[in-house]
Amino acid sequence: MNSGLMNQTDCPEVMVPFTVFFIVGVVSLAENLLVVVAVIRNRNLHSPMYCFICSLAAFNTIASVTKTWENLMIVLSDMGQLEKRGPSETKLDDVMDSLLCMSFVGSIFSFLAIAVDRYITIFHALRYHNIMTMQRTGVILGAIWTTCGMLAVLMVKFFDFKFVMICLVVFFIISLAVICFLYVYMFMLARIHAKNIAALPIGRKSRRQQRWSSIMRGALTLTILFGAFVVCWVPFFLHLIIIMVCPMNPYCECYRSLFQLHVVLMMSHALIDPAIYAFRRHQCTFVVCFIYP
Amino acid sequence: MSDFHNRSQISARRSDYVWQYEYYEEEEPVSFDGLRAHRYSIVIGFWVGLAVFVMFMFFVLTLLTKTGAPHQENPDLAEKRPRPGSCLVDINGHQEENDKAFSRPLLAGSRSYFNFYINEEDQDQGRPKRDDNRSSARDKTSRGLCSSGMDEMEEDLEAAGGHGRLSGHVEKTKTDREFLSHFNIPNFVNLDHSSTLGEDDLLYEPSVILERQAQAHNDHCDSR
Repeated sequence: MNSGLMNQTDCPEVMVPFTVFFIVGVVSLAENLLVVVAVIRNRNLHSPMYCFICSLAAFNTIASVTKTWENLMIVLSDMGQLEKRGPSETKLDDVMDSLLCMSFVGSIFSFLAIAVDRYITIFHALRYHNIMTMQRTGVILGAIWTTCGMLAVLMVKFFDFKFVMICLVVFFIISLAVICFLYVYMFMLARIHAKNIAALPIGRKSRRQQRWSSIMRGALTLTILFGAFVVCWVPFFLHLIIIMVCPMNPYCECYRSLFQLHVVLMMSHALIDPAIYAFRRHQCTFVVCFIYP
Repeated sequence: MSDFHNRSQISARRSDYVWQYEYYEEEEPVSFDGLRAHRYSIVIGFWVGLAVFVMFMFFVLTLLTKTGAPHQENPDLAEKRPRPGSCLVDINGHQEENDKAFSRPLLAGSRSYFNFYINEEDQDQGRPKRDDNRSSARDKTSRGLCSSGMDEMEEDLEAAGGHGRLSGHVEKTKTDREFLSHFNIPNFVNLDHSSTLGEDDLLYEPSVILERQAQAHNDHCDSR
């Protein structure tokens, strides 16, 4: 028994203090709520692109609220105010789990929708207004929210089955591949077209350098967008894979001890999402639209 | 009975692993004896691999960019400068050198899509939804939003045909469109006309142009 205890502390679980969770949760809640309210209140932002951004922000808001609430419950139960295994607490735990599940799956769907919307903007620019009408946007968003709600309930109910986890991981990998492909395709087209424009008889060196630096900026933006998504989401999904594949391996055990760090990473993605998708260089303009709808 | 108990323990633990913090049970200690590599080797390997992947992606994108670096453009421009009148041919020729699969949807560069858009605008003039926001009082704000809705990459992609970019074209040529529509002007004349309008400014500083024309022109970008 003693040796078992000693073995268990070789890779102790890394605890993240509650204050970190609270700060990340509250800040991401405030940001995403700002985005949601601004898009809803301002009629100028009633376009497909902003609808998808608003949906992403709504899912992130739900995730932040649920995570902060869960933290509160854990703090209360650690202080002895709540019973950890009571029936009402378990039910509440299930509700929070399904909300979290819904928001994670919904975030991924929203990323996919935003990438497809941008793809249609670039490659079918002239027919964009026919392809992506507000009715279709509403239908797509309704389908996303309904699917996420149903999946969340099913996943939490049947989480014991490995099949659910496998589906989640496969869905994540496919979404990652599709998003990567879409954005790199768009970037390559932008590069080729910019090269063609530069071939015009312009003759000014500053233009070429400007074009080159603008494409560099595009590469940086794309790296930040995709890199943030990958860095924040992949550790958690690797955790799911490791649970399924090697629960007893000591190396896997050491990876699983960092679970709370991975959850903080996922929450911080909800925090930086508005900066990547909604707020731009003209950030003050966005806020102005919020104040003066 | 014990099997059922074990299974329920394992299933409870599995759900505990993902969503709750107290998930390390005492029943199954993991043995750490005889480890050949470092304990956190998976963790270190994973993060190093992730960092390598992100840097690799960035370098691949910038290498794609470097093939169009400024010093390589000189020979191309030296060839094309003496032939300003046949820009149409130049663009088409240049298109064929590049990947056709990418450039084909754009109908060989800005020239054709420029006119294409003008033709579409003429057809769509009767549509009510284009007229809804024409007299919007918040053009300036919405113009800023148009530009705020696109990040730097999309400003480059606007050069490839984004709809925000299209609005830049439309705004710039709205007064010209009435002029052009009265004449059946062939394509190359439009190109010359557009280049005198400072097409490069539109291509490389779309947000500036958009904001500059906020008061003068209607918002097309927000008609969706």
